Amino acid sequence: MQQEPAEILNLFKKSEELVDMLRKGRAFTEELMCENERLRYRVVQLEAEKLSPSETLTKELERLRFENGRMAQKLEFLDGKFQQVEAENKDFAQRYVEVEEQNESLANLYVASHRLHSTLDSSEVVECIKEILLNMIGSEDFGLFVVDDETGALVRSGYEGETAGGPEKANIIPGEGLEGVVALGGEPFFGESGDEGPRACVPLKIKDRVVGLIVIYTLLSHKKGLSVLDHKLLELLAGHAASALISSKLYSMTDRKLRTIEGFMSLLRVTQGGGND
Amino acid sequence: MTNKSLLVVDDSATMRQLLCMTLTRVDGITQANITEASDGAEALDKVRSGSFDLVLTDIRMPGMDGLEFIRQVRSELKDLALPIIIVSTKGADEDVQLGMNLGASGYLSKPISMARLKELVTNFLGEH
Repeated sequence: MQQEPAEILNLFKKSEELVDMLRKGRAFTEELMCENERLRYRVVQLEAEKLSPSETLTKELERLRFENGRMAQKLEFLDGKFQQVEAENKDFAQRYVEVEEQNESLANLYVASHRLHSTLDSSEVVECIKEILLNMIGSEDFGLFVVDDETGALVRSGYEGETAGGPEKANIIPGEGLEGVVALGGEPFFGESGDEGPRACVPLKIKDRVVGLIVIYTLLSHKKGLSVLDHKLLELLAGHAASALISSKLYSMTDRKLRTIEGFMSLLRVTQGGGND
Repeated sequence: MTNKSLLVVDDSATMRQLLCMTLTRVDGITQANITEASDGAEALDKVRSGSFDLVLTDIRMPGMDGLEFIRQVRSELKDLALPIIIVSTKGADEDVQLGMNLGASGYLSKPISMARLKELVTNFLGEH
């Protein structure tokens, strides 16, 4: 029986140990729950951070957006500049072609005027005009008419082709037909490719006086038409041709007169010599 | 391009002068390098006695015409790889075709385009 209280005491002691252990377990459980709560809060916090960018990131994004806008503006500006330069380039290329064409015309004019003024023989001048019309203008059928000082009519001095060589084209009366109207008015005429009649009628003038006429009936088959530069070249050539024709005419007239006078002087000398004898 | 020697054959002095003037604008060609002939016979003599890199010839000329000149050059001087360019008032007509069949290397229509002439001459001189 004396052992019973000891056992009871031991039992109490053990139950107290158990209660203590349970208390510790409770405290530990509470601690775990607290930690769990903290961690859950942290998870929520981290998820929120993940969804909304941080302030630095927002600023960086804003800066990049601004930079992007600036670059887009720059690109637009450069694109405009590029198109402008490209247009200028095309313009320069076009102008280069035009300058080359003008250069070609000037070279033609230089050679033509040089040739026209290199002789005082009227037949050579006529041949030269024919060469120019054929080789430089590209005329196939054309006539050259010179004013006859006595009758006032335009007399054919040179030609190439069937139309210009026809008997009805031997003389042109000023005021009659297109050629005659041009000769009377003194203004050049340039026809279109589909038109009937001459493709070009250019008066040869010295100041306002018409001394001759160039009539182009057809062009060489591969020459599509007369360009504006051809018109200008023809008009300039007409001026040179007129002065070359008149110069050669005057020269041959003067030469003829000089020969007559020289012949007359020789005759006088002979007569005087005979009289002295 | 080093100095090249050219022969220009045309009965028209105006045309010869114009061709010479244009040719001197091509790199490597000076007036001194250009020889002129007024017909096929004169040109043939010059080809026989001289050395040329390129010939430009008209077709219709008094005496020996351009076609006969090409025929003679190709038959007499078979080993001579001399480029001959026809400069004609007719486009690609029978005369030009005949010239090409006889051995011409190319052709140019009158009125000549300076740009086309320079291009053609530069090409042939570059190859030669």
